[in-house]
Formats: sequence, C-alpha cells, structure tokens
Amino acid sequence: MSAATTETVAPRESPSGSPLHRFVWHCRHNPKRELWFAWWAMVTFYNLFVVSFFVLARAQPPPSPAVDAQGAAQWFTDNHYGVLVGMGIIFLVIGLLIAPTNALIAYSMRRMSVSRSFAYSYLAMYALSAIPGMLLLCIVLTVGAMRPDRDPELIYWLYDLAFLSFTGTMGVFLIGSLVWMVAILLDKNRVFPKWFAYLNLANALTEVVVAPAWIFKNHVFGWNGLIAWWIDMVVFGIYTGVFIMLLRKMIEREDFGTGPLPGPLPGPLQELAPSKEHDPSELTRTAP
Amino acid sequence: MRRIDGELILFWTLPVVALIWISAFFLFPGFVHPMSPTMSAEEVAAFYRENVSRVRYSMILFNWFAVGLIPILMLLAVQMRRMAHRTPIFSYSILASAACGPALFLLADMFWLLAAWRPARAPELTQMFNDLAWVTFATLVPYLIAQCVLLAVAIYWDRQPRPVFAPWVAHFNLLVAAALVPAAFTGLALEGPMAWNGLLPFWVKNIAIAVWIVVMGVVIGQTIRRQRLEDLEDKVAA
Repeated sequence: MSAATTETVAPRESPSGSPLHRFVWHCRHNPKRELWFAWWAMVTFYNLFVVSFFVLARAQPPPSPAVDAQGAAQWFTDNHYGVLVGMGIIFLVIGLLIAPTNALIAYSMRRMSVSRSFAYSYLAMYALSAIPGMLLLCIVLTVGAMRPDRDPELIYWLYDLAFLSFTGTMGVFLIGSLVWMVAILLDKNRVFPKWFAYLNLANALTEVVVAPAWIFKNHVFGWNGLIAWWIDMVVFGIYTGVFIMLLRKMIEREDFGTGPLPGPLPGPLQELAPSKEHDPSELTRTAP
Repeated sequence: MRRIDGELILFWTLPVVALIWISAFFLFPGFVHPMSPTMSAEEVAAFYRENVSRVRYSMILFNWFAVGLIPILMLLAVQMRRMAHRTPIFSYSILASAACGPALFLLADMFWLLAAWRPARAPELTQMFNDLAWVTFATLVPYLIAQCVLLAVAIYWDRQPRPVFAPWVAHFNLLVAAALVPAAFTGLALEGPMAWNGLLPFWVKNIAIAVWIVVMGVVIGQTIRRQRLEDLEDKVAA
C-alpha cells in the first residue's frame, strides 16, 4: 500500500469516449477503483439475489409454512428448474460478490474514528452469516428439487429446514447491524449521517420480530407472514437501498486520509450534522 | 539473522495437509469411483452398510484437517497487504471468505458421517443424508471462485516496480476459477458430465483445486523467500 499512497490522490480527468473506453480507463487509472469494484460487486449481488430468489426460484416471497407434505412436494415440482438454476447462480456468485460487499462495509468503519474492532467484528459476523442465512437454504432446496420422486415426508423436512434456516438466522444480522450502528454514532469522521445509525437499529429490530417464525405457521407471524416477511422485507429493502447510496457517497468523498471526510453529508438535516465550519474542535479531537 | 516470525512453519504445514487430504481422499470409498446420483436408496444404504468403517475414518480425518488451508490463505492475505493498493479491500475479502470454504466442507463431512451413523436406518433417510453430503461437497465452490478471482484482480492492480506476484499467477487463478464454475450447477443433472460424479463438477473441479494448491504453494514459497532476500538487501543497503 505504501507505494501507491505517495502518488497524488487527485484523479486525472476521466476521458470522454465510448462507455467501454471509459470503463477501461477507470479500471486502469481510477484511484478509487478498489472501492468502486467492491461497490459494484454489492450492487450486482443484490440484483442477482432478486433474480435468483424472486424471479427464478420463487423462494421469495416464501411459500406458506402451513402446507402439508403434498403441498411442499408440489412446490418443488412446480419450481424444479427455477430452484436449480437460481441456486446455481447463487453458488456461482455469492462468494465473489458478498466478500467485497462485507469488505467495503468494514472499510467504512475502518475509515471512522472508532476502533478497528468494529470493522473486524462486522467482517467476521457477516462472513459467517452467509452459510446459515443463505447457503444452507440453497443446498437444501437443491437437494429437495433434484429428486422429485423422494418420499413427500422427507421433502417436507427439507422444505422446513430451507425456509426456517433462511428466515430464522437472526443473531448475526441483529448484532452486525448494531455494531455498524454504534460505530456510526461514535464516529467523528463524518463518514455517514447520524440518521443512518437509526436505520441500522430498524434493521436490527426486524431480526427481533422475526423470531416467532420459529413458533407460528399463521399469516401474521409465520415465515411468509406480515411481520416476518412483508414488513421485514420492506425495511430491509429500504435499508439496503440507503446504504448502497451512502457507501457510494462515501467513496466519492474519500480522500484516503484519517481525518473527517470532506464534502457535505448526504441526506436531510445536513445543517445539524457536525462539519469543519461549524465545529473546528471536531478536527482537533480526531487528529491522528 | 532474521527474527523467527513463524511464516515458514505455517508454509510447511501445506505439504503435510496435502498428504493427509490425499490419503483421506483415497480412504473414502465413494471418491475414487465417485458415487452416482442415480443409485437407488437401497444401493446407497448398502454402500454405507458395507463401507461404514472407511467412511467414518476418512471423514474423521477430513474433519480434523479441513481447515488446514486457512493458514496458507492467510499467508496470501499478508502478501496482498504488500501490494500497491490504496485500501485493504482485497485482504479483507480474503479474510471474510477464508473460513467459509472449510465450513461448507465440514457440513458435507457431517452429512456423510450422519449417513454412516446408523446404517440400519430406513434407506430413504440414508439416501437423503448422502444427497445432502454430495450436493454440499459438489457446490462448495463459491468462496474458492471468490478467492481466485479476487487474487487475480489484486495482482492486476498491484502496479509497482517489484510486484508481489507475476502476472501469470493472476491468469492462472482466473483459469482455476473458470474450472470451478460448472460445479455450481451440478443440481441440474443426475447423470452425465454435469452430475456430481461427472467430469466437470467432480474431476475438473477437484483436479483444479489440487493444481491450485500445488502451484500456489510453490508461488507463495518463492515469494516469501524473495521477500526475505529483499528485506536483507534493504537492510544491507541501509
């Protein structure tokens, strides 16, 4: 890292020309290309997640937990190829796209004035989360779909394991969001606006209210119900859209220094956020 | 004299782990002629009844040493920190994915051991555990693909007079990543070259992993040796 940081950070003018030409230029010369690579990996991941889970496999919104064994077997029969192709896409890309996503979010905490422990905690938790929270569902749905002539009672068990592991993996996302929240609240480097901390809290709370999905099969508390799926998915969707936008702003404002990030904080209530002009002591307190 | 930092100890665990993996591979009766997904439940149950000891001993061996490659990945992560990058994004990504490959393998390992646990169980149940084991094992490529591609991009973007790895290492990693891709879609076929015992998800994938371990072992060893020589030269020059 030492060799590059001595170069000037000020980017050379991006060239005009064909989109391909500009893309190649950015890959070769953009000083923030590592961050942009991770950001695009994140955007690509969430798009492929929607394609695989919502469009192909139809595993989101999830089918009902109230079906009988025949109903579960029927679900696999109806979605045979969608499940196998959709889960194949996830097997193909999840590591490549989710590892840089978590690295970028950890980097946002590394850029804050808080201890590195926050970044490392988030990195470890979210690295772990993919297996119980998503890959187990992918494996089990693949096993369920690939042998349609299996005893429906066994398919029933696979169905329950798949959807309960996906919806019912709560703690890593709960604590992970709270780690990010605390880091943002403590941060003096103005990486994110403080209101985003409370959106982390909202996301953490969805992991609390999802717990009844382990107990109930009805339309309110069940894994496909109003709380465990519809409200949670809306909150998660907003949360994800917002942090994708905020990480983009962070990369644009990044100066590779250790003090406060330059430029205005995105979002409402900007005038309430601390800035260089409003509070000069902010700078001295966070000087490395 | 350079202070002992232990990197060489970690490095020389690689041939030991490789030897144990190869032994366990040949000890497991379902690998040399990989079990077909078209076997009936009765055939699968008979396989576990006849081979219960070898399944257990080989999978216990794998259970002990499945995480054996993590120290080597950490040596890679340390080398990535020496690259001419502005951010630790790539080394963070390797850190975030290093344990996931072994964790998936351990899941498969436990499904195999479960299938062998009560061989007298109803054949359909043994077959289901066998399916879970094989699908988990066949599709455990996501983090291996990630590590290969991320390492390749990191090498391409390591532009300095003395890059840490040569460009061919990046090309090689992309090639290995491509060889692992078909295994992600193994669920689509019960027979032929795409089945879990077929040419692409079994032979091409596992041979690619073996070749990666050998080639990257040599590359990492040479890089560590060169790094030590360079450090020595810098010291003498100073």
